[in-house]
Amino acid sequence: MRSLIIALAVFAACLTSSTLTSAQEGHPLKGSWLGTWGPAKTHSNDIVLVLDWDGKAITGMINPGTDDAPIKNATLNPDGWVVHFEAAIKDKSGVLNYVFDGKIENLSFHNRTIVGTWKNQRESGQLKISRQ
Amino acid sequence: MKSGVAIAFALVAVLWLGTAISAHHPISAKFDDTKPQTLTGVVTLVDWRNPHVHIYMNVRGDNDADNWAVELESPINLQSSGWTHDSVKAGDAITVTGITARNGSRQLWATKIVMTGTGKEVLHFTPPSPPALLANRPAPRWPDKQPRLGPSAGGAQGYWAFPSSTVLAEATANVPAMDQYGLLKNVADAKLVAPMQPWALALYEYRQKRFLQDDPTYINCKPPGGPRQFQLSYGVQLVEDRDRQRIFVLIGGGNNNYRIIYLDGRGHTGQVGGDDDNPLYYGRAVGKWESDSLVVDTRGFNEDFWFTNGGLPHTEQLKLIEKFTRENFDTLKYEVTVDDPGAYTRPWSSSWTLRWVTGQEMPRHLCQENRP
Repeated sequence: MRSLIIALAVFAACLTSSTLTSAQEGHPLKGSWLGTWGPAKTHSNDIVLVLDWDGKAITGMINPGTDDAPIKNATLNPDGWVVHFEAAIKDKSGVLNYVFDGKIENLSFHNRTIVGTWKNQRESGQLKISRQ
Repeated sequence: MKSGVAIAFALVAVLWLGTAISAHHPISAKFDDTKPQTLTGVVTLVDWRNPHVHIYMNVRGDNDADNWAVELESPINLQSSGWTHDSVKAGDAITVTGITARNGSRQLWATKIVMTGTGKEVLHFTPPSPPALLANRPAPRWPDKQPRLGPSAGGAQGYWAFPSSTVLAEATANVPAMDQYGLLKNVADAKLVAPMQPWALALYEYRQKRFLQDDPTYINCKPPGGPRQFQLSYGVQLVEDRDRQRIFVLIGGGNNNYRIIYLDGRGHTGQVGGDDDNPLYYGRAVGKWESDSLVVDTRGFNEDFWFTNGGLPHTEQLKLIEKFTRENFDTLKYEVTVDDPGAYTRPWSSSWTLRWVTGQEMPRHLCQENRP
């Protein structure tokens, strides 16, 4: 019992410290984002998005790893903090062209979110990701 | 078992809440100067701690006593104005005039405190002012004639403070009006402050419209990297270690932080010191003397802090060229060129001066445990 309490307390401390150390005050899109874009038949429910800003263009990768896909045509409109990006993702039947549109919410938070939609030739759905 | 888990989860909640609500701040970030209020009540506690002293007082409400938190200046500033933690004590009846919190909570920024029984006004805050200028003394020099950035040989210790400007803006003819914290009088003037990219301008305006309440230096006690360290209230000390070819910048308002400027010819990358070239709050600074000026090239900043009062954005591409010139014994000129192609459309510059405060210890202001 005591060990459980200690474990939870340590977990709590870790949560707090991670909140403090993960601040990112530069370009609002830069960073790692984690969330959901399902349910869907063409991909899994979870999504990881890694975004960067080089001063001229937004670049990034969806689900870095074995089935990763680079994003393209990414834009951020500061008027409303509207986000758009696209990606071509291969599956067994060919290439699916994804279009993502969303909006940054809670801009001043370290773990700000992007809420929006996605669509490809076959499906469409909701996207919600939070900056880690 | 259940109670233990409940306690543990309560601890989670307390820790989380503490993170979310802690906020040290410019006054305008927390309090609304259009909402004056006067309170009369009895002091329950004087919390004499950094970054702001708080007096808690019970005020008679409609049905019961409401406990208010009255916020004052820092202990350093209050002490310099003759206050101690005994100036007002628990049990004293006081009348406080001030401005209320923007969020509607029972918090007041005090501008006047009167002992209710005697009518004696007890809050006398006098902002520190620079010492009177003596005769125009030349800058002290080392035996090799290089200007000294600290005291003269055998002279009294001191530090640099009272910056002629506490806000960073491009040195142009159209610098917009701001308060001491960098809050614009008119947010529409934001584009005049510096040549920002559209996203950076929008973010800067967003921060301004929120009265700078998101400033991580105050919310999370983040270090004041970049030019900001030379625009804080409590000054800086430049300690020259000539044997080791480096200068330590001690920052009075920076939580006992220090920054090192290397003069030994090393580069910005591959520095031994355990930082492994990761981005830093103070970046990596290498300098050299050019005639009577110290020129410092700093890069390798992280993006986890605001590098100016007022919240101008920056990215990891930020590079600073800083020039320190001791124009005379009492005046240090600081010039900075900001080059950040991630956030700005071109390099831009600014400058200000600092005054030598002789014979005094530099104050050490701590943003303590993310306390409000």
